[in-house]
Amino acid sequence: MKTLYILNKPSLLSQCQSAMSADDGIILVEDAVVIAAQDKANTDYYVLEEDLIARGLTPKDDWNIKDYEGFVELTLAYDKTVSWL
Amino acid sequence: MSKSLSIIFNKAPYGLQSGRELLDIALMAAAFDMDIKALFIEDGVYQLLDNQQPDVLYMKNHSPTFKALDLYGIETRLIAEHDLDERGITQEQLLPVAETTSQETIKQVISESDFVFML
Amino acid sequence: MATFSLLVTANPHSSQGQFSAIQFAKSLLSIGHELKRVFFYGDGVLVASRLNHPPSDEYNLTKSWAKLAIEHDFELVACVTVAMKRGITNAVEADRNALTGDNLDPAFEISGLGQLTEAMLESDRLITFG
Repeated sequence: MKTLYILNKPSLLSQCQSAMSADDGIILVEDAVVIAAQDKANTDYYVLEEDLIARGLTPKDDWNIKDYEGFVELTLAYDKTVSWL
Repeated sequence: MSKSLSIIFNKAPYGLQSGRELLDIALMAAAFDMDIKALFIEDGVYQLLDNQQPDVLYMKNHSPTFKALDLYGIETRLIAEHDLDERGITQEQLLPVAETTSQETIKQVISESDFVFML
Repeated sequence: MATFSLLVTANPHSSQGQFSAIQFAKSLLSIGHELKRVFFYGDGVLVASRLNHPPSDEYNLTKSWAKLAIEHDFELVACVTVAMKRGITNAVEADRNALTGDNLDPAFEISGLGQLTEAMLESDRLITFG
């Protein structure tokens, strides 16, 4: 099943990545958006626009940016979501 | 076919109540005839140490409840062997409630589940 | 159109999760999806107190959830076990447990964890905000 991981803490990125399978995606939200300001973009990696704006951040690379409505639709494009806490 | 739910324990006990709260979710969902799987990964493997004494902190010991998982029909209970090794823990130090498995199997279980909960 | 339910465990006073959850709820409703139930668990239940009183220049999550739920006819359910533990109670539970007052906002209800399992089974997506 294609899974969308929702990550809100930057410190948990590698833990979350080690649970992910090939077709899975990840959306960075809340404090985890700092990852997009520091790292290279990746296919199937998304970042939440409102959380970037709130923090005055700009992605460092050509990241897939989703606003909240895009986030909602993204959860439906995958079979399920996992909020990695 | 009944829906499957994986419950992932990834934090050591007592600093947060998440272990206990996840257990409650697991037991309730089992009553709904869901196919539940309990996964212990990362620091979550510490949840299963068999000599916990949180009463010294006036806190309730929830670890005996892990022994009830089987009774509730939660048959799949897996520990990530790699995470156990990394922490220098042997299976003899754990409550005899789960079996060790590979990271790949854990990934596969998560991938195949209809729902996944962490807290 | 899809049916969503949310599981909210974030503390409304010390983290962003509740703000993310309500934003997600508003967005899914605005593009025509349905919200069945928001289930509050862990510290998430703290938002159900009608006595929450943020400074006037700050967003009132309790009132905002209540307004949205009434407008769009979805349920706000706080888990009874964790709510009682944190001093969130309705009149019935207060009476049963000999507590001197109640504080549950009228737009919320308190109920068992079965409501979470049911929401999971009856929605197309269950999204957790922790």
